[in-house]
Amino acid sequence: MTQLLLFNVTNGLIIGAFYVLMALGLSLILNLSNVINFAHGGFLVIGGYIAYTITPYVGFWGALLIAPLATAVIGLIVERLLIRPLYGRDPLYSLLLTFGLAFLIEDGTRFIWGAQGKPVTVPAVLAQPLSYEFFFITGYRLFMVAMVIISVTLLFVLLRYTRLGIRIRAGTLDLETVSAMGINVRMLRSFNFAVGIFLAGLSGVLAAGQLGLEPTMGTGLLMPSFIAIIVGGVGSLPGTLIGGLLIGVASGVTAVFAPAASEAIMYVLMAVILLLRPRGLLGEEGMMT
Amino acid sequence: MSVLSNPIDRRVILKSAAAVGVLQVASPFVISARGETPIRIGMVDPLTGVYAAVAQNEVAGAKLAVEEINAKGGVLGRPIELLVEDSANDVGTGVQKTRKLIERDQASFIIGDVNSGIAQAMAQVTAEKKVLHIVSGGHTDGITGKDCKWNVYRVCNTTRMEANSVSELLVNKYGKKWHFITPDYAFGHTLQQACADNLKKLGGTVTGNELAPLGTNDFSAYLIKARAANPDVLILLPQGSDMVNCLKQIVQFGIDKQIHIAGTQQELESLEALPPEARIGIWMFEWYWKQENNARLAQFVADVRKRTGGKVPTARTWFGYTSVYSFALVANREKTLDALKLAQALGDFELPDEVKLQPNKVYYRRGDHQLMTSAFVGQAVSKGESDPEDLFRVDSIVAGDNTAPAVSETGCTLQWPA
Repeated sequence: MTQLLLFNVTNGLIIGAFYVLMALGLSLILNLSNVINFAHGGFLVIGGYIAYTITPYVGFWGALLIAPLATAVIGLIVERLLIRPLYGRDPLYSLLLTFGLAFLIEDGTRFIWGAQGKPVTVPAVLAQPLSYEFFFITGYRLFMVAMVIISVTLLFVLLRYTRLGIRIRAGTLDLETVSAMGINVRMLRSFNFAVGIFLAGLSGVLAAGQLGLEPTMGTGLLMPSFIAIIVGGVGSLPGTLIGGLLIGVASGVTAVFAPAASEAIMYVLMAVILLLRPRGLLGEEGMMT
Repeated sequence: MSVLSNPIDRRVILKSAAAVGVLQVASPFVISARGETPIRIGMVDPLTGVYAAVAQNEVAGAKLAVEEINAKGGVLGRPIELLVEDSANDVGTGVQKTRKLIERDQASFIIGDVNSGIAQAMAQVTAEKKVLHIVSGGHTDGITGKDCKWNVYRVCNTTRMEANSVSELLVNKYGKKWHFITPDYAFGHTLQQACADNLKKLGGTVTGNELAPLGTNDFSAYLIKARAANPDVLILLPQGSDMVNCLKQIVQFGIDKQIHIAGTQQELESLEALPPEARIGIWMFEWYWKQENNARLAQFVADVRKRTGGKVPTARTWFGYTSVYSFALVANREKTLDALKLAQALGDFELPDEVKLQPNKVYYRRGDHQLMTSAFVGQAVSKGESDPEDLFRVDSIVAGDNTAPAVSETGCTLQWPA
């Protein structure tokens, strides 16, 4: 039993790491632009499909870099044409817009690539378990965790030590003052949105290696990411990081005792956190007003 | 105010243009047919959502049947018209679309749905409205079991037929200790129960049953438990993208090298979505496009390929095709559209060779309205040798009469209207 528990904690951490990657993108966009991006799962799917399409030409490693970038470019266009006009308005507008956009993307991918899933093969070096005992730790899953660590590190360096990053963080706290100081807030938001969508695209490429690549792939991954943000605290990226890992482990451990509740436990966790500490673990009070 | 001084506003034009655009998207797909008063067939299937791929194939099969039937003179001398509606994999939507097809579009016959839950809910509506209904692709036992209805027939197998087609083979070939991964809804529950019952009769044991919610992405927690139980066979019952996720992860974890992987229902749509290394295991297909010495089948495959950009028909294509043909053939034979008369005539109705496209006798059983269709038992193949879509090696084709339980065991008692 102890072994089973240990297995599932490790396994939960691996799954949680993936939620983190997706939730960080969501969180970035939410924090600076007050946009609850329901189309994030859609962008994840776009990333996966682009990778699938270009892999025959550029290989898995090429696709790993190019597909998220291409997704970010699509994200930029969407931000410029659809989301920017709604910045001044109630967040409900952009929520409804991205909600509709999610359906559009799902049907769009179905139209272009077909309803039937596409076979994605990961490089043979990664597609092996590392040991007989810990069979669930495969090269690919470790690679996913490594990608998450690298992305998170780069993101924190960007936000902490670069001028752009500091402006984004300042904008999160008080956009009006940042704007009054002569900083181009539009550019800042566009860049920030693109970074968020890049992370969604990267999640998509990584997910396609493990899950079936089909137009609804993003749907099931979106909710855990939202929960990660709420548990961790809106407005706090480290909070999102902890939130993602926490729900991954909670869901993994629950699967040992009551598999049917392994999804519900995330919501229970969220409800408990909201009751005891409405701002989330590391969130600041009044972020979402 | 003169007419000229009140030109049509630009916005009005834009709005009407948009409205026309929306209308084209919103109105159902219609195969236009010649003649004055076409007979309408309503089809409800989840064209969007996780079952979109299989649903679209059912529609493709139905469309082909409509074309063929119209070319041969239609039904009762009238052309037939297929109206397709999207249930969006949602029970409420499916029911609403069924009502619309019957009440507004005056459909004489209803087909659908892939999702067992929606199919059952639709059957309530068609029974209330007294319209002949063929369930094309929902497998849960109740439809032709305890919830059977005088007006409802089914083309695809029941879950018990699926379980019966492979259970003995799996015990003989792989062993008596089975562990299940089961989708946690009606279809999975009845299928798992049927397999477990068979296993018990054959003297085997169930080491565990992992109930995975529909739409599970990550199966690792279930796989950790399954491997710890050390069974001879891991039986996978999920379908669609869940099946794809599960098999992909099993192969990456190397579990297929320690435990035999098998299941009941497998579909070409799923095998094609898997990378070659994950196309493994013993399964049953409900129909397969490649069979020896069948010229009519070769023609059917060619006709489907012409319409789908080269994709072969799957079991789902055949379900849609057979559903439309069953209605047309029986209506032409009985020379009526009366639902009650047609429902009575379909009992014991045998599909002709040009429609059944398989060996063995294929007929609707009078007692429970279930089509006695064959099970194609065999093995998944990583790469098609003669054709990239030939991903299944059929070892035996078992007649429906040999997989279906007796009518008395199905729990079906048909109540005919007075």
